[in-house]
Amino acid sequence: MNNSANENLRELLAGFMDEAAARQTAEDIEKGEEILGANQAPQPDERVLAEVKKNVVAALRRRRTVVFQKRILGAAVAAAIVVVSVLTMIRYGNLSNSHQTRMVAASIPSRVWEGADDADVTVLKAEIENIQSELSGVQSDDTGGNGSTAVDDLETELIEVNGDMWKG
Amino acid sequence: MAQHDIEQVIIGCNKGDEGCFTQLVDIYGRRCFGYFYRLTGNRDLSDELLSELFVKLVEKIGTYRGGSFDGWIFTMASNIFHDHLRFKQRQTRLLDGHSKRIMSQSAGVASGYDGDADKLQMALGELDSGVRELVMMRFYSQMSFKEIAESRQEPIGTILSKVHRGLRKLRELMG
Repeated sequence: MNNSANENLRELLAGFMDEAAARQTAEDIEKGEEILGANQAPQPDERVLAEVKKNVVAALRRRRTVVFQKRILGAAVAAAIVVVSVLTMIRYGNLSNSHQTRMVAASIPSRVWEGADDADVTVLKAEIENIQSELSGVQSDDTGGNGSTAVDDLETELIEVNGDMWKG
Repeated sequence: MAQHDIEQVIIGCNKGDEGCFTQLVDIYGRRCFGYFYRLTGNRDLSDELLSELFVKLVEKIGTYRGGSFDGWIFTMASNIFHDHLRFKQRQTRLLDGHSKRIMSQSAGVASGYDGDADKLQMALGELDSGVRELVMMRFYSQMSFKEIAESRQEPIGTILSKVHRGLRKLRELMG
């Protein structure tokens, strides 16, 4: 593809100046570009290009790992939403507050997220940990006056984190 | 390479195909190196910037939304060059505070020569840095003036005028 060759320079310049000036300007540009063409820059060393390719492949593999980790994190956040929703139902409904629910909530992120190095993943991981600690607080304060508000806030926060997750 | 073929390579890149990414290095590596070399006058630095460009391309390929891929990749190359200039500027300010003198040094054209600079490289060093970059962008990206104006968000008349001024001076200097 050579877009610069496809444009009609004289026609383009005629929109800004009279015909003679457009002809002269086009000639200056064309002759100037001929000089550039006749004095090519040195070529990169083949070893450099091979190194660039190696770096590209390494970057691509790193990226695949991060995308995979993000997907798992997304699943973990979704699971956390389910847990908080169940907690909300327990609070407002008559479901029993089972020990099993607490176990699931406590085990979500730490098993999966060791070694994540992408900045987004790290932020999301920190948010999950924060939510997990808030969840523990809510669970241990079943009779507190603000318990229902705290559960609602937590659920909202989890939904936002999940949204960010899928937006990437 | 035909636009259709490039599009096939980009589709492969979006699927994470390593072979397609290395193909892009084969297609654009030499041109992008030439662009960086003519702006910096330094081979080692051009090698570094080239590597940075293609690693960034891996991260950003998903943001390409069609249109001229040449324009897209050279806009990214230009951003990388400007990031480099800003970094050097900050670094130099910290060292001695002579920021104005350093701006031209960090462009590499005056003091960054690696010893085997040709006549054209010396002549390019005489151009205003913004004009020099536009002339190089036009030559290596093969973008039309309209595409350059869109990518730089500047009026096409301004771009035409700057490139004309730069190339006319280059002709005089190369005499």
